[in-house]
Amino acid sequence: MNTSVKKILIVGGGSAGWLTASLLAADYRFDKSVQISLVESPDVKHIGVGEGTWPSMRGTLQRIGLSETDFIVSCNASFKQGSWFRNWHTHTHPNHYHHPFTPPVAAAEFDIAPYWFPHSDKVDFAHAVSTQAAMIEAGLAPKQITTPEYAFVNNYGYHLDAGRFVQLLQRHAVNQLGVEHILDNVVSVNGDKDKPIQSIQTAQHGLIEADLFIDCSGFASLLLGQHYDINFLEQRHVLFNDCALAAQVNYAEPETAIASATLATAQSAGWIWDIGLQTRRGIGHVYSSAHSSDENAEHTLRRYIGEQGADVEVRKIAIKPGFRETFWQHNCVGVGMAAGFIEPLEASALVMVELAAKFISEQLPSGQRQMAITAKRFNETFRYRWERIIDFLKLHYVLSKREDSDYWRDNRDAASIPESLSEMLEVWRGHSPSRYDVPMAEELFPAASYQYILYGLQHCAGKKSKPVNPRFQQRALQQFQYMAAQKQQLKAGLPNNRTLLKQIASHGLQTI
Amino acid sequence: MATIERLNNVSHKDVKINTAYSPELGDNVMFSLTFPAEFRSAQAYYPIVFHKDAQSGQFYPVVLLGFQQQENLFLNQGKWDAGYVPINVSRQPFSIGVQDGQRVVNIDTDSAKVSADGEPLFLEFGGHAPYLEKVSGMLEALHHGVEENKGFVECLLEFKLIESFTLDVTLNDGSQHQLLGFYTINEDTLNELTDEQYLTLRAKGYLTSIYMMLASQSQFADLVSRKNKQLNLA
Repeated sequence: MNTSVKKILIVGGGSAGWLTASLLAADYRFDKSVQISLVESPDVKHIGVGEGTWPSMRGTLQRIGLSETDFIVSCNASFKQGSWFRNWHTHTHPNHYHHPFTPPVAAAEFDIAPYWFPHSDKVDFAHAVSTQAAMIEAGLAPKQITTPEYAFVNNYGYHLDAGRFVQLLQRHAVNQLGVEHILDNVVSVNGDKDKPIQSIQTAQHGLIEADLFIDCSGFASLLLGQHYDINFLEQRHVLFNDCALAAQVNYAEPETAIASATLATAQSAGWIWDIGLQTRRGIGHVYSSAHSSDENAEHTLRRYIGEQGADVEVRKIAIKPGFRETFWQHNCVGVGMAAGFIEPLEASALVMVELAAKFISEQLPSGQRQMAITAKRFNETFRYRWERIIDFLKLHYVLSKREDSDYWRDNRDAASIPESLSEMLEVWRGHSPSRYDVPMAEELFPAASYQYILYGLQHCAGKKSKPVNPRFQQRALQQFQYMAAQKQQLKAGLPNNRTLLKQIASHGLQTI
Repeated sequence: MATIERLNNVSHKDVKINTAYSPELGDNVMFSLTFPAEFRSAQAYYPIVFHKDAQSGQFYPVVLLGFQQQENLFLNQGKWDAGYVPINVSRQPFSIGVQDGQRVVNIDTDSAKVSADGEPLFLEFGGHAPYLEKVSGMLEALHHGVEENKGFVECLLEFKLIESFTLDVTLNDGSQHQLLGFYTINEDTLNELTDEQYLTLRAKGYLTSIYMMLASQSQFADLVSRKNKQLNLA
């Protein structure tokens, strides 16, 4: 990588800042001419968004050179194999569906969905086309102690303690990867608003110059928002949730089972997340302030938590759903909440940081002229990604049949649905979701994800359109039988989450 | 089920051990733990490879006795069909226990090897019979072997000398089988070690063990021919 960007300054030290710093430092550790510094205020408390990651985090941690054992032990981490949605379809009777991390079986070969239609009243989609939903329900881990680190039997990401994650990344970035850590407050930004940033004025460390500034300053958005005045495109008209109440609840017993998926339970004005770490659960209520008072929301949350957490402290977090109109302006690029934020329904916050950090690292411009092109591409790519996340999250609400509140009815109001999503819904009257709907090479949500949500919410995408092509009939039948047999085998061989986490704490995972 | 008791010359006075080898006596194991001090004897008959412990994921060396679970191709009409029986097999049904910080001999009294006839454990007045003396020696060797394995494996992992391998076996009837879940010495890494690393291996006495493991790979052919013979394909 030949680049004139020699000095990179990251402003802000939350998970976005330290992940970006670690990734860049790891990628450029053999190139001594590239210097990476991170300045963070000693006074800012980090929000610690989302305690859930995508499977991509395994690759990211490996790339920055962390051992999975160290990560799991020091971040109170557990395994996340997908999302488990409860009561999203209707409020009248208990219902649930899965969005597992493993795509439908044989997805690379053919679309199995149409062959599942005739059986859809007997077995739900996720259970028919993957083994993972059954493992999640059985509370089983995605691997064994003999599976090497970062490898899997079933695809997985993590649930983690965001605070400890930041500490681990910081230690690793500073001690192992040579990132310069400056604890100081940014006083001002030097440079004209229509030109590249020249330097940052700090309280104790004077002027800090750099070739590239990465804004990881969270909601404050010191560089993109405050210095460059970049528009924030608020999305509350699409995704209504603007508040979250978060709590930490201890397990009833030290041996209580640890869930293998993020539980997301629909409520009358939002939904509740439930994330099982090794020693506690993180539970929170995301809701729309236009549809519920804080008191009601807290009441709903406490009712969900139950007796056992009667006295837990509840912390309120404001959510401003939306993203910046531009993410990369001149020599400044925003990563994390400085770029945008959306409710954590599909835990997209950290994966967006990973994607941004990788893009920056792999496409570090070779000079100022190239920087403008890189910026343009970055902006197009991430604009597309934010829009797709919004479409995908909105889908969860649009397809609900809940009638218990205006919240759900308003969510189905055509005026609140982005045109891109309306278009897809129109196409899906006759087709199951396919790669033609989401054509990018690095789609955040592949067609498989749309299938899991649509069929999970009992949408009939493609069901009534045309007779099923008999070409793959036999293959599909084999695959369904294979899934059933695999489930039995996996259930016999996989440990439960707590057992595996204990084995990892005692013995560690092998690297091979 | 196993019932493990501390061996003593009162309750086990009349216990005798059937020293034959057969599936009925619990010898139908696909592989069995070994250790560097045993490599010299073992490599003459068995492939020596690494396996991961199912409870801890830790590597340990094993002699390979078959190609699938519960298959031991060295069992032949009550006899062990090779010139050397691995200690972890021949020490059955005894194991090492610890009591008050001392190593003691335990016996699994549920083992099918515990029988009315066979080798006595104790002499008339309570002293150890020669057979028990021999078993004690084996358990002692096994204990030190397991300790030695830890350092051996740790050093090999540090130098990235362990790699997984897949053995594709074609039997004489053309049927194809695959052996998975075992690991061996990575020869490419071995040949590219720095002088310093190589000297470390020599100083720790691991070089011989490494090369014996490599040499033992020629026993895979013997294992395949035993399999063919068992299936009457030879």
